[in-house]
Amino acid sequence: MLEVFHSLLFSTLDAAPALVFAALGAMLSERAGVVSVGVEGMMRTGAFCAAVAALVMPTPLAVLVGMAAGAGIAGVHGFLSIRWRSDQVVSGMALNLVAMAGGTFLLESLYGPNGTPAITQLSRWNLPGLSHVPLLGALSGHAAPTYLALTLPFLFHLLLSRTPLGLRLRAVGDKPHAVATLGLSVPALRWGAVLGGGLMAGLGGAVLSTAVLDRFEQHTPAGLGFMALAAMVFGRWTPLGAFAAALFFAFGNALRIGLASSAPWLLDLVPQGFLLALPYLLTLLVLALQGQRGHAPAALGTPYEQESR
Amino acid sequence: MGERTRQVLPSVLSVLLALGVCWLTIAFTRDADTATRAYLQMLWGGVGNWPAFLDGGSSTTVLRPLGESAMKAALLTLTGLSVAVAFKVGLFNIGAQGQMIWGALAAALVGAHVSLPGVLHVPLALLAAALAGAAWASIAGVLKLKRGVHEVISTIMLNWVAVSLVDNWLVIGPLRAVAEGASSITGTAEILPSAQLPRLLGESSRLNLGFPLALAAALGVWVWLSRTRSGYETRAVGLTPEAARAAGIPTLWRAGGAMALAGALAGLAGAVLVLGTEGRYPGSLGAPYGFDGIAIALIGNNHPLGAALSAAVFGILRAGGTRMQLLGVHKSFPELIQGFALLFVAGRMVWLALLARRQKRAQAQGPAQAGAEVPRA
Amino acid sequence: MSLEDASLDIVPGELLAVVGENGAGKSSLMNVLYGLYHPDAGTFLMEGKPVRFKSPRDAIARGIGMVHQHFMLVPTLTVAENVVLGREPTKRGLLDLDRACDEVAATAKRFGFQLDPRARVDTLTVGSQQKVEIVKALHRGAQVLILDEPTAVLTPQESDELSQVMRGLVAQGRTVVLISHKLKEVLGVADRVAVMRRGRTVAEVRASETTVSALASLMVGEGSKGAAMTGVPAAASGTQEAATGPVLLEAKDLRATGENGRPALQGVSLTVRAGEIVGIAGVDGNGQRELAEVLTGLRKLDGGEGTLLGGPLAGLTPALAKARGVGHVPEDRLARAVVKAMTVEENVALGRHRQPPFARGPWVDFKGRRERTNQLLNSYDVRPPDPTVALQALSGGNQQKVVVARELDADPKLLVVVQPTRGLDIGAVAQVHARLREARGRGAGVVMVSLDLEEVLALSDRVYVLYEGRVTGHFTREHLDERELGRRMLGAEASHG
Repeated sequence: MLEVFHSLLFSTLDAAPALVFAALGAMLSERAGVVSVGVEGMMRTGAFCAAVAALVMPTPLAVLVGMAAGAGIAGVHGFLSIRWRSDQVVSGMALNLVAMAGGTFLLESLYGPNGTPAITQLSRWNLPGLSHVPLLGALSGHAAPTYLALTLPFLFHLLLSRTPLGLRLRAVGDKPHAVATLGLSVPALRWGAVLGGGLMAGLGGAVLSTAVLDRFEQHTPAGLGFMALAAMVFGRWTPLGAFAAALFFAFGNALRIGLASSAPWLLDLVPQGFLLALPYLLTLLVLALQGQRGHAPAALGTPYEQESR
Repeated sequence: MGERTRQVLPSVLSVLLALGVCWLTIAFTRDADTATRAYLQMLWGGVGNWPAFLDGGSSTTVLRPLGESAMKAALLTLTGLSVAVAFKVGLFNIGAQGQMIWGALAAALVGAHVSLPGVLHVPLALLAAALAGAAWASIAGVLKLKRGVHEVISTIMLNWVAVSLVDNWLVIGPLRAVAEGASSITGTAEILPSAQLPRLLGESSRLNLGFPLALAAALGVWVWLSRTRSGYETRAVGLTPEAARAAGIPTLWRAGGAMALAGALAGLAGAVLVLGTEGRYPGSLGAPYGFDGIAIALIGNNHPLGAALSAAVFGILRAGGTRMQLLGVHKSFPELIQGFALLFVAGRMVWLALLARRQKRAQAQGPAQAGAEVPRA
Repeated sequence: MSLEDASLDIVPGELLAVVGENGAGKSSLMNVLYGLYHPDAGTFLMEGKPVRFKSPRDAIARGIGMVHQHFMLVPTLTVAENVVLGREPTKRGLLDLDRACDEVAATAKRFGFQLDPRARVDTLTVGSQQKVEIVKALHRGAQVLILDEPTAVLTPQESDELSQVMRGLVAQGRTVVLISHKLKEVLGVADRVAVMRRGRTVAEVRASETTVSALASLMVGEGSKGAAMTGVPAAASGTQEAATGPVLLEAKDLRATGENGRPALQGVSLTVRAGEIVGIAGVDGNGQRELAEVLTGLRKLDGGEGTLLGGPLAGLTPALAKARGVGHVPEDRLARAVVKAMTVEENVALGRHRQPPFARGPWVDFKGRRERTNQLLNSYDVRPPDPTVALQALSGGNQQKVVVARELDADPKLLVVVQPTRGLDIGAVAQVHARLREARGRGAGVVMVSLDLEEVLALSDRVYVLYEGRVTGHFTREHLDERELGRRMLGAEASHG
C-alpha cells in the first residue's frame, strides 16, 4: 500500500510542475487584470522552442529559450490588450489558434509528423538523504523543475502579499485608476505581469518537452493550459491556492493512470473518462458554490484607459 | 467611409494580411516559388481547377472541391453562428466544441438506433442534436445567470468535461459499436441510410443538405436578430443588460435563450458532421471546431451573414488545404491563416488607428471634414 | 470635455475655488494640473519656473495632491495600504505594514482625522473614504491639495466638517484648490474664486468682493440665466396652484435591501396623487435610489405594502410597472435608460417595443417606429434630429431629451425621475424641468428624487425627506424651509409638529 502511494506521489511530483508553472503564470497576469486564456498557446510555443533549442544547446539553456518564447507570445497579447485595449479573451484565443496551427506547421515542415528528434532530458537529482525515507523518498529523483515548482508558489505568495510590487499588482487588478493617480504606470505594471506570466507559461511548456517527455509532440500541451486555468480559478487566484489545485489535479491524473495499470477492474466501476472530467467538474462546482464574481480581480478583463475623452 | 465599409473593411484586411503573412512563413521555411504554388493548390483545392475544367476537363474537377468546401463551410458557419449568437447577449461561448460533441453524439444515436422514414429521420436526428447542444450550453447559461460564473471559464471547463465523458468513456465504452467479425470499429454504430443527409449533386461531389441548412440557419438568425421583437430584445440585453431590465425585457430568459440557441447551433454542426460525412460518432471530433467558430464569428464581425461569409472563405481555404500536402505543406496550414486573421481582427484597433491617421492627413490637405472615428471593441 | 486657453494663478497659502458649470472644464484643468492629461499647448510655471508634468508622479513630486470626485481607492485594500501605495515602507525588501499603519495613523492624527489604518476601505462610509483620500495626498507631502467636487457625496454636516479641514490646511500654510459648482458653499470657505466657462477661465475674483449672483452670471455668461443656474426658482411652481387628483400611490412601511446587502429602506410610507410633483430629498445613499427602484419594479420589496396604480406594490416587475403606467427616468442614463450602441429610434422604442407603433405582431414595425421617432425628435428639439444615428453620438443633454421624450410619450400616470438634470447644461435643464411640469399639468403624478436640493425646492409640490431609509420629514410647498429640510436630511427629529 505504501509502495503504491509512494509511486503515486512520485508521478504526481513528476507531472505537476508544468501545471504549477502555467497556473502561476496565468494567475500573475490575471491578478494584474489581464485575462490569460492564451496560456495554452504560450505553453505550446514554449514547449516547441525549448525542444528545438535543446537540439543545439544544453537542455537547461533550452528551457530558458522556451520561457522567452512564452514571453514572446505574451508580448503580443500585451501589445494587443494593454497597448491597444483589445478584447483580452479574443486576443488570447487568437494566440491559441496561431500557436496550435503554427506549431503543427513548423513541426511538419522542419521535422515531419512524428515530433522533433529526441533530446537530452533534464537530469534527475537524487537526494541521497531522502531516497530511503518512506513517502518523503518520493521527493527524490526528480528533475529541477519539480523542486522549483515546490518553492515558486511560496515565493509568488511572498511577492504578492508582502512586497511593494505585489501590493501594486493587486491594486492594478482591482482598481487601475487608483494606481494611476498615484503616479504609478498601469501599463508598466500590467506589462510586467503579462510578460512574467508568459515566462511562467513558457517554462511550463518547456518542462513538458524537456523533463516529462524528451521531444515536442504534435499535441503538446494537449489542454494542460486550460487545466492550468482551472487550477487558477479553483485556487481562487492565489499562488498557494493555485499550487494546491495544480498538485491536486496532477495527483488525480496520476491516480487515474495508476489505476488503469494496477486495478483496471476499478475503472469498470468508475470510468476513466469520468475521472478525467473530475478536475473540470470540481472547478465548475466550486465556481457554482462561490457564486457571483467569486474571487476574481475586480478589473479583470477591463482595458485601462487613462483619458476618457 | 460608409458605415458598411467600416464594418467590413477590418475583416477583409485581416484576412488578406493573414494570407500574406502565412505566404511568408512558407517562403521562409521553403522558398517563394513553393509558397506560391502551395497557395495555388489551396485555391484549386477549394474552388476547383477552373482552368482545367474550361480546357475541357470533367465537371468533377470543380464539383468535388466545391462540395468539400461547402461541407467545411457548413460546419464553420454553424459553429461561427453559435459563437456570434452568444456574443449578441454579451456572452463569450468558448464551449461550442463541447456542445457540438453532444450534438454529434445525439445525432449518431438517433441516426443509428431509431428507425423512421428519411423525411422524419433526418429532422428528428437534427432536433436531437440541437436539443443536446442547447442543454449543454444551458449549463453555462444557468451558471452565469444564476450564479454569476464567468462563461469563459465555465465553457472551457464544460468542453473538457464533454471530451472526457464522451470520447474517453461513452464512445469507447457503453456506446461503442458492436464489432462485426474481426474488424473492430472506433466510435458508435453506423447511422441508418435513412438518417444520412441527402447528397445534392449525386456521386461527383460530397455536397449534402448540410450546406443549405447552415445557410438557412444564418439567414434565420439574421432575420430574427434584426427584424423581430425578441431579436431586438436579445440585442438590447447584450448591449446594456440593466437598461433592458428596466425596460421590462425578461433579461434572464433572453440571455439564457440566446445561450441555448448558441448551443443548438453548435449541436447542429455536430449533426451535420455525423449525418453528412462521418456516418457515426467517430472516436473524437478530430478538430477544434469550437475554436474555429470563435475565429469565424469574430472575423465575420459577429454578424450572422458575416459569419456565413467568413465561413465560406475559410471553408474554401480549409478544403483546399488538403491539396497543399502535394507540396509538403501540412493540411492544417489554412488553420494558421485563420488564426492570424483572428489575431489581426483582434488587433484591428491598430489598423483603424493607422487608417484614421492616414485619412486625417489626407483630409488635412483636402477640404476639412469630420475625422474618421475609431470604433472601440 | 476640452480646454481652450485656460489660465490660472495659484497663490500659496490660500483657498482658491474654481467654479463653473458642468462641462466648463474644471476637472479637465485640474487633471492637466495633476499630470493625468497633457495639454496641447500652454505652459506651467511653478515658483516662476516652467515645469512639465508627464504623469501624476511629477505632480506628486512637486507637492501637488488631488482628491478625485470619484474616489481613487482600491476597495479590497486596507486604509494603510491605500495610503502608502506607490511609496511603501519596506524592511529588507518586504512590505512593512506595521510601519505603514503607524505612519498613516500619525498623518491622520496630525490633521485631526479619525481613521483605522487596518480597516478595509470597502467597509468605510463615504465620508471616511474621502478622508482616506485626503490623508493619501497629505501623506505624500502635498502642499497644494486639489479637491474635485468634494461635497457632492457628503451630508451637510460632513461638508461643514470638510470646510473646517480645508481652512485648517490653509492655516497650516498649505494651499487648497476647491472645485465646485455650489456657489454658496464656495463663498463661505474660499479666499479667491476663479470662474470657468467653456474651457476658459473668464474671471478671478476675491471671495469677499463678490456675490452668488455675480458669480452665477460670470459662469453662464449672461445675467439672465444666472437664476436658473443657482436654482433660484425662477418659474417657481407655486405660481400655478397644483390641483391634486386621485391617489396614485399609497405605500406603507416599505422595506428593501440595498446593493451592499444592508437595509436601504426601513419603513417608508408615502402617498402620491395625480397632478403633483413629489420631491424626495436626502443626502446621497439614504434610500432614495432604492425607493425609486421599488416603485419601478427594479428592486424587490422585503416588507411593507402599497397600492400602485390599482395594483399591489409587492411583486412588481419592470414590465408590470410599465403596463400599469409608470414612467421612469433613471439616474444612470447610460446604464439604465438607454442602449447607447443602438440607434436613436431603437432607443425610443425601448420598453414599448412590443406595442404599436413600434411592433406589429412579433415583428419590428420599422415604418411606425421611424415616424414616431421623427415626431418626438422634432417636438423635443433633439439635435441632430436623425433617428438612425447611434444614441452615443448625441450629447448628454440630447440623450436625456430622448429618454424624457420616450417616457412622456407613453403618457405615464406616474413618472419616477431620479436626478433628471445631472450633468446637463442650462438649456437642457430648463427643458427637462418644463417637461416635468407639463406632465404634472396633464395630470400625471411625478416622484422626483434629486440630490440637488435647489432642484427639489424649485419643482416640488411636496417633499419627503429620507434619512437612513426612513422618512424624517414631510413638507408641503407652503411650509418648505431649507434649513429645516437640511436638518431633517441629517436625521434630526422634528423640532415642531
